[in-house]
Amino acid sequence: MSIVGASVAATALAKTEAASNKAKITDFGLSKTQWSDKLQEIPTLCEMCVNKCAAIARVEDGVLTKLNPNPLFPKSRNMLCARGNAGIQALEDPDRLKYPLIRVGERGEGKFKRVTWDEANEYIKDKMVKIIDEEKDNRSTIGFCAGEGMAEHTYKSFMADKIGSSNFVNHGSICLATTIAGYTLTLGGYGQADLENAEYVIMAGANRAEAIVTPDTMDVFKRTKGRGTKLIVVDPRFTNTASHADKWLPIEVGTDLAFVLALTYVVVSEERYNKRFCSENLSDFEEYKKHIISNNYTPEWAQAITGIKADDIRETARDFMAHAPRAIYYQGRRTAWSLQDYQLRRAQAIFSAMGGGIDKKGGIIFGKKLPLGSHDINSPSYDNAKERIEKSKAASIGTSGSWIAWRNTIIDGTAPYPIRAFFAYKQNPMLSIPNTTKTKQMLEKMELVVVIDTMPSDTVMMADVVLPESLYLEREDPVKSFGGTEPSIALRKPVVEARYDTKPVIEIMRGLGEKLTKPLFEISKKYDESLQEEIEERGEKAVFKEDGYDLAEGYRHSQKTINHHMVSSIYGEEAWKTLREKGVFYPDMDKFFKKISTNEYEYYPEHKKNYSVIQGDLIQEPYHDTCIDIEEIAVLVKKFRTATKKIACALYNFEKRKGVDAMPKWRDELYTPTPVGKFKFITGRHGQFTQSGSANNALLLDLLPENYLWINKRVAEAKGIKFGDNVAVKSKIGEIQIKAYPTEKIGPNVVFFIHGFGAESSELTLAHHRGANDNMIIEDIYETTFGSAAMHETVVELRRV
Amino acid sequence: MMNLNKIFPFKRHTLKSFFEFERTPLNLFMFALSFTLVSFLVYGIAVYIEHGHHAYGVTRQHAWGLLIAMYVFFVVSSTGLCIMSSLGHVFNIKAFKIIGKRAIVGAIIAILTGFLVIAFEIGHPVRMVIYNVLTPGLTSAIWWMGTLYGMYLFFIILEFFFLNNANHKFSKMFGLAGLIVGLAAHSNLGAVFGFLVARPIANGVFFPLYFILSAMVTGSYLLFLIYGWRYKMKFPPEVQRFMVVLAQVLGLLLGILIFFEIWRALTSIYGMMPERGDIAIHMLTSKSFIFGEVLLGMLIPFVIIIFSRGRAIKTMVYASITGMVGIFWMRYDLVHDTQLAPMMPLKIREYSLPPGLVEYTPTSIEWMISIGAIGVAFMMYYAADKFFDLDHKSEPEDKIY
Amino acid sequence: MARYGMALDYKSCINCKACESACKEENGILLGADKHRIWVGVKDIEGIFPDLSIASSGFEPSQCQQCDNAPCQSVCPTNATYYDDNGVVRVNPDQCILCTYCMEACPYDARYIDDRTMTVDKCNFCSDTRLINGETTTACQATCPTKVRIFGDLDDPDSEISQVLRDRDHHSMKEHLGTKPKLFYLT
Repeated sequence: MSIVGASVAATALAKTEAASNKAKITDFGLSKTQWSDKLQEIPTLCEMCVNKCAAIARVEDGVLTKLNPNPLFPKSRNMLCARGNAGIQALEDPDRLKYPLIRVGERGEGKFKRVTWDEANEYIKDKMVKIIDEEKDNRSTIGFCAGEGMAEHTYKSFMADKIGSSNFVNHGSICLATTIAGYTLTLGGYGQADLENAEYVIMAGANRAEAIVTPDTMDVFKRTKGRGTKLIVVDPRFTNTASHADKWLPIEVGTDLAFVLALTYVVVSEERYNKRFCSENLSDFEEYKKHIISNNYTPEWAQAITGIKADDIRETARDFMAHAPRAIYYQGRRTAWSLQDYQLRRAQAIFSAMGGGIDKKGGIIFGKKLPLGSHDINSPSYDNAKERIEKSKAASIGTSGSWIAWRNTIIDGTAPYPIRAFFAYKQNPMLSIPNTTKTKQMLEKMELVVVIDTMPSDTVMMADVVLPESLYLEREDPVKSFGGTEPSIALRKPVVEARYDTKPVIEIMRGLGEKLTKPLFEISKKYDESLQEEIEERGEKAVFKEDGYDLAEGYRHSQKTINHHMVSSIYGEEAWKTLREKGVFYPDMDKFFKKISTNEYEYYPEHKKNYSVIQGDLIQEPYHDTCIDIEEIAVLVKKFRTATKKIACALYNFEKRKGVDAMPKWRDELYTPTPVGKFKFITGRHGQFTQSGSANNALLLDLLPENYLWINKRVAEAKGIKFGDNVAVKSKIGEIQIKAYPTEKIGPNVVFFIHGFGAESSELTLAHHRGANDNMIIEDIYETTFGSAAMHETVVELRRV
Repeated sequence: MMNLNKIFPFKRHTLKSFFEFERTPLNLFMFALSFTLVSFLVYGIAVYIEHGHHAYGVTRQHAWGLLIAMYVFFVVSSTGLCIMSSLGHVFNIKAFKIIGKRAIVGAIIAILTGFLVIAFEIGHPVRMVIYNVLTPGLTSAIWWMGTLYGMYLFFIILEFFFLNNANHKFSKMFGLAGLIVGLAAHSNLGAVFGFLVARPIANGVFFPLYFILSAMVTGSYLLFLIYGWRYKMKFPPEVQRFMVVLAQVLGLLLGILIFFEIWRALTSIYGMMPERGDIAIHMLTSKSFIFGEVLLGMLIPFVIIIFSRGRAIKTMVYASITGMVGIFWMRYDLVHDTQLAPMMPLKIREYSLPPGLVEYTPTSIEWMISIGAIGVAFMMYYAADKFFDLDHKSEPEDKIY
Repeated sequence: MARYGMALDYKSCINCKACESACKEENGILLGADKHRIWVGVKDIEGIFPDLSIASSGFEPSQCQQCDNAPCQSVCPTNATYYDDNGVVRVNPDQCILCTYCMEACPYDARYIDDRTMTVDKCNFCSDTRLINGETTTACQATCPTKVRIFGDLDDPDSEISQVLRDRDHHSMKEHLGTKPKLFYLT
């Protein structure tokens, strides 16, 4: 398949034009070349995925021609993956959203007219005023979602704090909420796996070779294959990670909990745990041991459920403990798999802890985080803003909500009040939430849909108002502190001028805030009794000014000014200058940073790395690259952790108040074995694609043109399916068609294809109808502890078409 | 005009008389055929000028396609005709003396057609002429082949010039020069494939040698066709004698060729060396080899000659048509089989099959240019026949040699 | 001057294709199925689920081997393919006539046709984008997440590549053909 996007032609052209500025290359030997005087190397942070790798943009005469890694950033270890390099195509994409749009046809038709920012804001204001007035100032009638990004917080604070809605959903519940919660409630924090020093790593489901996470991916794959780390991969699929493994244990989908419980059983029954560490640091350990033994979670029991041989389970458990404390049961990230996810992560955390590798080199570490000055948003309070609508749908639903439960509550009529407007920023729910059909229904119910994005995704096509965000290469975003053993602060600066009529989020919020402030204040005055009282006491002007009812307040400064304050208030002007020039800063960087070889750098000397940091209780986990609000985690910990300073083997409070099992327990009723003749459908990643965000990127599509269905070779042969044949995959809620990729890398009762394809939006020239959308068939099943999606519970049928 | 005729005798024609020919069904058919083929060629060239190599089915793994095969086909024909012709007036074999002019004209036409075809395959033909002279790659078999074929054309044109003037001293001189340079050029063409270190199926001594043999076979078939067409199967005695001798020589050549091919096949598959044995098996079991190369190209003519002891010359004329088809498949297989083994045996995209043998299908444009070029050759031959007296002078009964 | 080569710790490769995209961006290469200077080969895994052979799976990043005895150079009729002062095998697009003999002669499938100049192109160790400025890293080396590649001067005994080639076992591709590749795969 040959794709010569206009965008690449443009880049190639840019290269040729820039090249013509250089001296002609002579035929023989090297010639000295004069770079254009206008060559700049501008540091920035990549936004093509969640990792935010530091890059240096090479800009020639105002044209971005290359993105190179910035070696100063400890977290990304001097690299830039395929998507990082493809940022240029995202910038040059001719399909980019260029100016504000207002819908003219039916919702979903995709017919828009170009408007000015003012007109767009005016339209939003008119609708919002009507809705909020009719809902008597219940701000929560405005639902809003956000995808992960460095500007997410700016948007979220506006909608949650300034507008005052409590109905926020983000990717947490379709991604990592259960693993964060599981580890935090157990260990006090989610932590980071010290893969640079670990000797034994069990990576279950996590596919670090393809779902790249920094610095984990960089660290572990240099040490596999007998070079220092023994890697055990537990996965129903033979992934690229498995090809690095010392052992690959294929597991029945959704049965990881049984595996971990059996590992625990071996370690408990053979007394291989670190006795001293456990007695000092684990609470309710004796009860846990009894619980494991009395429930007979033997390897033989696990073999029957997981398909992993009992001998392999024993060997793994023994090997793990032999290498402990430099042994890690890897936490994982996108863990929205099964109904027992939460208990699984708890069991993992406890198992890891039993080896003693917590807060130690080679184990799970918490590290340190460099503080930054604060930029607080003055939040007004809204009496009438009701609680989020899906709170009752799971045991503990936090401020990030449960996307599935929240959406389903809207369309099944169980919402206590209507959600009448919906704002989306950088998320594409039409493709990313299980059961696309229901997402469409939900959006159709809205009276106002506002989408802020850079590309005309399927969600954008369902919008009433489209607000184009500047691309990450065109803007400055809030400076961020990245914690870990080698903490640092990194900055994103604009590399090229913002194109077309796009704006960064902070300016979008500012514009919206300016428009909405007065009218919404009037409505609050009408219905909010506490406000009326305050106004009586102190006068309207004072209340308006001091209590934060000026909605644009906090967004009027430029991001640069805010960043300047956040950095220099703690580290001084020199640090700010370094940060601006080099993109990265940490104290003593000039002393510590060394080049060791052509590829390797030392960021902190060994004795300065923060391996063991906990003295006493883990009060606040500093390393939070978890996309979950740190306050939310703190609340969780406060509410449900037992008030000890130890690693919690049992959470009795959680059981008492919410009915959630205090200790990880295997429940047969929560597990559905795959019916004969059918398949469990699982989803995942490849290293060339970031969810649905990169679906239109010409360079990345060159690397991965389409998703294909992984199907076992023998099963395919029996069904007469050959490579490239069209196959219909049908679940209870939908059907898609996709090409087949028969392979022995997957078992006979499992099928897989990667997420992010199958866009319906006709505005995405390259992504339109390319491949298949997994959420068209993934059932909207969610686990009932946190409302996280259980994406691997879907059963499908196949047939050749 | 008068003077030119003295230097270089040719028949004078008006435009009308040029296009006049006896309107037999066969002639009309050939006229229609040539015209159709040339129009294909023109169309193909037009598409190529617009789209360049994208009009062809060549790929990164299979960069040489039908046009290269056709080029080889034509230059082999040319060299073959030159060699067979030299049997007459360089080596003085009496039976072959009569074919001098016609055979050389055929050789010139064939090489010009070959150059025509390759002009639409080489991406930058003008650059080639410049840099082959300025910065020659003296280790390159293509450089030697190109340079030597240039010289060869020069020599055989001169040879024809002197033949046409009945200047036997110089025609013999240039004939010998043309033969030697032609043999050198042609074996270098074989070496283009023989020098390929990366391609075990082609690498080695076979192709430089086999090409000369194959050229002689091709030349023989073409002579059957040329003389069959010239005399419309009513052969005067000296021509008959020539054709019988030709058939016998051809029989010997075919025998040697079959022997070569058998040993080539055996040594290729013995031991099943990777990239050689598997390719050889694929080759030997392919339709183009079995039906094209072997049956049409070698066996049928060989059997006819053996059983008739060379005397069934009319049958041989017809068999030469199929023989030439077989020869075409020999050229195509040569080019295609060399590239069958993928140099990079791994897949580079997850969602693809690991590379098997490299596949190639010529596009319709490639066919049009290739087959269309034959029409040009026909037309050039027609013109040559019109302008020059290509017949031998009828001599008294020769002594039996 | 120098004699550049590359050592690949290919066991670290995770087939993320960062190198492929960095190369395309750095050198302005057109997109398209066959147009690549560098690639990561994926070994087809052997075995039947669940008994798959981990040893049979693996990734082989590769590109032009920059042979010291390059078959592509000896077959070029116009010397458009030549060795530059750094030992890098280069193609001069002004002299290339697109006879594609070099593409036939290359044992590694390293060459392809650049549609814009209609000449043959291949990896040149970033000679005209980096080496020419004195930078001695290639785009593929710099971008790699697991730092598979070590690029350096083979003629400098103190360079990292020379040291690693002395200390560690390595092999090259199709060594039996005598092309003397300057790409070394560390085992």
